This record gives sequence, structure tokens and C-alpha cells, in this order.
Amino acid sequence: MTLLTQLLRNKKALVGVTILAIVILVAIFAPLLTEYSPTQRVGRPHQAPSAEHLLGTTRLGHDVFTRLLYGARISLAVGFGAGLLITVIGTVLGIIAGYKGGVVDEVITFLTNMVLVIPNLPLLLVLAAFIGQASPLVIAVILGFTSWAWGVRVTRSETLSIRQRDFVKSAEMLGEPSWRIMAFEIFPNLISIVGINFIGSVLFAVITEATLEFLGLGDPNTVSWGIMLYNAQNASALSVGAWWDILTPCFALAVLGLGLALINFAIDEIANPRLRTGGMLARWTGLIRRGEGTL
Amino acid sequence: MAFLLRRLVFYLAAFIAAATINFFLPRLMPGDPIQKMFAGAGSDLSLENLNALKLTFGFIDAPIGEQYLAYLKSVFTGDLGRSIRFFPLPVTELLGRALIWTVGLVGTATIIGFTIGTLLGVMAAWRRGTRFDTIISLLSIFSSSVPAVVVSLITLFAFGYTLGWFPNGYAADPMLDPSWGWDYVGSVLYHGTLPMLTMVIVLTGGFAVTMRNNMINLLGEDYIVMGRAKGLSDRGVMLWYAARNALLPTVSALAISLGAVLGGSLVTEVVFNYPGMGNTLYQAILARDYPVIQGALLIMTAAMLTANFVVDLSYVLLDPRLKRA
Repeated sequence: MTLLTQLLRNKKALVGVTILAIVILVAIFAPLLTEYSPTQRVGRPHQAPSAEHLLGTTRLGHDVFTRLLYGARISLAVGFGAGLLITVIGTVLGIIAGYKGGVVDEVITFLTNMVLVIPNLPLLLVLAAFIGQASPLVIAVILGFTSWAWGVRVTRSETLSIRQRDFVKSAEMLGEPSWRIMAFEIFPNLISIVGINFIGSVLFAVITEATLEFLGLGDPNTVSWGIMLYNAQNASALSVGAWWDILTPCFALAVLGLGLALINFAIDEIANPRLRTGGMLARWTGLIRRGEGTL
Repeated sequence: MAFLLRRLVFYLAAFIAAATINFFLPRLMPGDPIQKMFAGAGSDLSLENLNALKLTFGFIDAPIGEQYLAYLKSVFTGDLGRSIRFFPLPVTELLGRALIWTVGLVGTATIIGFTIGTLLGVMAAWRRGTRFDTIISLLSIFSSSVPAVVVSLITLFAFGYTLGWFPNGYAADPMLDPSWGWDYVGSVLYHGTLPMLTMVIVLTGGFAVTMRNNMINLLGEDYIVMGRAKGLSDRGVMLWYAARNALLPTVSALAISLGAVLGGSLVTEVVFNYPGMGNTLYQAILARDYPVIQGALLIMTAAMLTANFVVDLSYVLLDPRLKRA
């Protein structure tokens, strides 16, 4: 069974994929779902939700629902763009370090460990502070180049164990070039690790982009969930009681985050069958677990 | 011992790397770095003071190599320059005050989150497949995926504004003078509750998931069966055979996640206007107070490295093999 069909049979994955699909559809069809423009004043400041403005308006009189729909575009673009960059760098470095070994491995591992101990968000803040207002593209690129370390670590350790398997040994005996072994023998066996890395990185990038923008390091003219949070916070939305202004992007981020995390846990369960708890395995664990329930 | 020594050398290298980023960033940006870094001070800065600052940050008439050494020298002698916004307050003093609050907040929240998360993970793994496991797993997934910003804002909205149970900002009542008296300490605890709650919510899930998965992977091992065969109680096997061994990878996961913990506290501090490192860094960024921004990166890195070293020490205690290595 391929990873994809297995994913669709997993309940967690199904919910996660559904959430992600809805967000993607909303992002694509945003202009069809709302009559307003996300950047135009279409009502009085801080109107409560009504039939006319489903989720109310912001301090500047923008329609919150419209900005929510259009904001999904930026969150997804930054998330998937940065996620892809992080995954590519992490996977390539991880496979090279794990397969080549020796000095190459030591240099890559040293760099990786170093990036892991320098706190990420403060570093991003310092970078962004020198750059000034960062556009979503700049944020995605910075995220891509500073956040690959975790991926290298997990890919490398997995490669180390695959390198010892017979099919790699026989490919070596046949004299296949090492780039071919890495790309066609090792990489296909890392698919679940790469998948987890990718989805995790997308999640990380979505959250971090929103956080950087919330902290005022983004470009305030962007229509994104992070800038919605930033504007709402600046307009003191909570203290004036305009909860819809601030809770809407909060809800969107939480739901997208949950969706991505569910997909990730499902991949983990499929790649690592012991973690699964349904069907056969439940009966098997039931046998082992006779008479428990203390603590 | 060799293990710990090797780690110390590595931490030194990592700290120098952070200092190197600080050194090159202003020099790589377009425009005059000196102008950019100290412009915020305007005419308040006398020529004498400006020269002192330039010396601290390595802006001297010398090749770039010597400039770099000059900067490293000031960093290692503990001179991080002076805040532009609160001139002439030294950066170390400004950030030192803030660090106490952050360490208190992050330290307590990590201990609480780690304890609760690990225990929940152990119990969920031990009863895997039951409703208890499902609920804990789903809650953990939610807790580990929702951004700190979102949790902070929702907690602030719910308990701060709507219910009015807790204050909306500051680390203590500004009317009180700091002291060890009950009034002040009580006020600190009261003001710290919401930021702490936020951090615990954000942290617990990740620890629970890691522990649960580690435990489940161990439960098929022979020594677990052996423990049962010896007739040990369930609780005994669960805690002393399974949990003790599953704890090891969880502790190293803790070390890796410390950066994220610090990031989470940064956001939480900003939302709750809590006077820690994160909020100080945030205020400095708003005011383009570059010496403070750079100092914050160094001190946060140093804090991370210290915490990692503590984790290394606990690792030696948990894994007897490392004592001999």
C-alpha cells in the first residue's frame, strides 16, 4: 500500500487533509466568496459581526471575513515556500552527511548542532530588525535558510541505518555513483521522514511568519493573518471589546496548525506501526495490558 | 568527563558564532553601519560617548580582522555597549534585570510543563488504544501545534479582559516596591499566572507526545516482558522499566526544544507586557536600539547554552554509559 492510500485510511490524516484542503480552496476562491476588497474601507470602524459583515470590521473599517479569506493565501504561500526550502536543504545535507561520513559528516553535523543551539526566534528578530519591514517573500527566504537544522539531524540518523542495508551495499558493488545511490536508493526510503519534516516545516513557517508580523517586523500593507493580529493588537482590539478583530486570525492559525499537525502525526503512525492503536494492534496491546489501570 | 569537556568547547564555538552574526550583520546591510546602529541617539550622544560605543562594537580604523577581534574582546570582557534609548544605561544592566524575569517564567513553566507532559505521556502509552490515550493524544497534538501568540491572546482575552480574574500586564503591581515581603511576592505570582499558564499550555503537549511515542516503542522490548515475568507490579514496570528508559530521548528533545521555549516566552512576554528579555528585545526593535538588540541575541544564546549544559549534566546522570565515556 502506498503512503497516500494509507494516509486516507487514517482518521487523523483525514481530518487534517480536510482542514488543509478547505484552507487551500478558501485561498484560491477568496474573490468568489466575498463581495469586498481586503484593502478597502467598507464599513465603520469596529462594527460587530452582522449579516453584512460576517465577522465584523477592523478599526480601519476593513471587512474581517474578507481579510481572513485573502490572508490564507499569504500564510499558505509562505508556509509551503519556506517549508519546501527548509526540507530541501535539510534532506540534501542530511543524506550527504549520513552517507558520506568522515569529514563531510563532521562539518555538517557541527554546523547543524550550532544552528540548533542558537535560539531561532531571537535570531530571526535580529535579522528582521536590520532588514526593516520584511515582505512575506523575504520572511520565507530567511526562514528557509535558518531553520533546516532539525531536518538534517533526523534525516542523517535515518540515512545512517539505511546505509548498512543490503540493497545499498549491492548498489555500491555494482559501482553506481554515490549521487545515484543517495538519490535513488536512499532517498525513496526516507519518504516518511521527509514528509514529516516538510509538514512540520510548513507548520513552523506559518506560525513564525505570523509571529514575526505580529511583532511588527512584517510589511503592514500585507494582507495576512499575522498582519491582522498586528493591526488588531495596535488598535487595542481586546481592550475596546472588538474580540472578532483579534480572535478571527487566532482561530484561523489554530485550525490550520491543528490540520498540519494531524497530518504529521498520521504519517508518523504509518511509518512507525507500533504507535498505531486501532484494529489488530489494539487487540494485541489488550493482551499485554491485562489488569492495568492503576496510577 | 571528556563528554562534558567536548560539549563545553562546542558551546564556546556556538557563542562565538552568535557574536560573529552580530559583528557582520550591520556591516552587510546597505548604508553606513555606524550611522545605522547609533542614529537613534540623535544629538544626545557626545563625540566622546560615540567613540566609546564605536570602540565597543569594533568600528575602529583597522582591517576587518582587527575590528572583529576588537568586538570579540568587548563581548568576552562583558562589555555589550550602552542602550541608545536609555543612554547611558549599559546593555548588560538593562538585559540583566530582564533576564531574571524570563528565567523565572521560562524555568518554572518548563519544569511544570515537562512534569505534567511526561506523566501524561507515560500514562497514555501505558493505556494505549483506550479513550484516555485518544483524548490525551488529541489534546497534545492541539497544544503542540497552536502558536504561542494565539494561546497568549486567547488567555489574555478570556481570563484577563472577559472574566477579569487576572491582571493584563506587568510582572507585579507597579505601586509596590520590590521586596521579599508577602505583598510583593504574592503580586508577582498573581501577575505571573497568565503568562505561566500560556507557556505551560504551549509546552505540555510536545513533551507528552514525545514521551508517549518513546514509551510505546520501548514496550515491546524483552526487558519489559522480563519485568512482568518477575512478577513486578504494573506501576513498577511502567515507571522503573519503561518510563526511566523512555525519559532519555525525551530529555534530549527538551534540549532541542529550549530554543522554541525561549521563542514562546518572547511572544508571551510581549502580549502580557511582562518585563522579561523577550519584551525588552521587542521594545528595542521598535526603538531601533541596535546595541540592545544585539546584546539580547548574545544573552539569549548564552542562556540557551547554559540550559543545554544543564541538560547534558542530567544526561550523564540518567545514562550511566556516559560517565565512563
